[in-house]
Amino acid sequence: MPRVTVTVRDNGGRTATATADYVLAPPVLGGYYLAGNADPTADMAGGNFRSLTQYRSLADGFTFPGYNKPWLLSLGRSGFAINMVLELKHYGVATMAAQTFTVDGVSHTVPAPAMTIQQRPGTTWPRAYGYGQVLAGLCDGLFARALSQYRTMGFGVNIQLASELDTDHEFGTTESGVSYGWAESDARAVQAMTYIVNWFRARTLPAGTTFSVGSGGFDRACFRRTHPEALMAKLDFLQWNAYATDPSHTALARFRRTKDWAVADLGPVALSRPVIIAEWGVRAAEIPDQAAWIATVPAAVAQLNAERGPRIVRTNYFNSSWGSLAPRTNGLAALRAAYATRPYV
Amino acid sequence: MAAPTVTASLNAATYSPGDQMTLTVTYSDPDTRPLTVTVVVTDAQGNSSAPVRVTAVIDPLTLTVTDDSGRTWTRVSDNGSVAVYRAVA
Repeated sequence: MPRVTVTVRDNGGRTATATADYVLAPPVLGGYYLAGNADPTADMAGGNFRSLTQYRSLADGFTFPGYNKPWLLSLGRSGFAINMVLELKHYGVATMAAQTFTVDGVSHTVPAPAMTIQQRPGTTWPRAYGYGQVLAGLCDGLFARALSQYRTMGFGVNIQLASELDTDHEFGTTESGVSYGWAESDARAVQAMTYIVNWFRARTLPAGTTFSVGSGGFDRACFRRTHPEALMAKLDFLQWNAYATDPSHTALARFRRTKDWAVADLGPVALSRPVIIAEWGVRAAEIPDQAAWIATVPAAVAQLNAERGPRIVRTNYFNSSWGSLAPRTNGLAALRAAYATRPYV
Repeated sequence: MAAPTVTASLNAATYSPGDQMTLTVTYSDPDTRPLTVTVVVTDAQGNSSAPVRVTAVIDPLTLTVTDDSGRTWTRVSDNGSVAVYRAVA
């Protein structure tokens, strides 16, 4: 840790000394996500990309590295910081029945997911393993399977539990026929997330393993409810996502919104944790010149990191959904240019 | 003669490469006093010159700033009790 020393000397040779220590943070890691968890290697070639987000359902039999994803091993072994989002959400790609499987010689049976989340009116509500199921130990087999696969990869990752708890709970949840409001769902999730982190931390983990819980970061009360100090003490990062979906949205305003809430509402343990932006993006429908908007991100992140509060250490562009780059080549060129400037270098 | 006192504070605990860093130094010494000497010359006939003023400081203080990482700190202001220095992270 560098130290600056100030000495004041009077005419008689008497001196007084004061010191101030400071930390030089490494560059922010510029990162990426490609739609469908697809191989991003080609898109990132030649750019200063050092971070990646991936999504897996714990229902999937191939959690780590994922089905047919040898490229993830290559990226991880080459030093990429991998943010692995593990969701209780069932993606619906396989049967939603109970599963029986063997992990390291031990047979596990996990019941069908009993909760619905993201209960937006007029949509089909996705299924997820319930927070009650987790707390009852019924999902331990899923964690055992994921951990066994994780241990074969040869590098540590950040495990982000849930993609966005606020999105999952915004319209309430239902488990085994019982409805829970938004705040109730948050409280139940905190218990379940605590259970899962404890489950993993009680076992041997690859070096460099870290944990966070997922938030879109669009609701202040939910962000506060889902980041109690007792849970944050078990986590290594804060996390939120940042999207521009209106012509008035500046990069500074979008990246700072959740940070300001965190600084105002969260405790010292939470605020001691650096921040992963697991997803950021700019929606072309409202902001057609995505490249110009992307170009403003480095200065925004640098400014936020120069202010008090938790520091943003990874930002992963979400080339999918709201963040889909169109035209793709312009967007990728803008990302390369952004990640070649301070604070990414 | 009393000993001087000094405090030093940075505007952040952590910096990213390229950030501007600001160091504020507050210092004093009870003995340090500004002094003004006014000289008037008067001849035998009682004619006086215009007064001439000379200022000085009793027990002046000198300030040095060092950084064990080799970073150069540049003084941007100093009013005799508060000095501000800048460097680039």
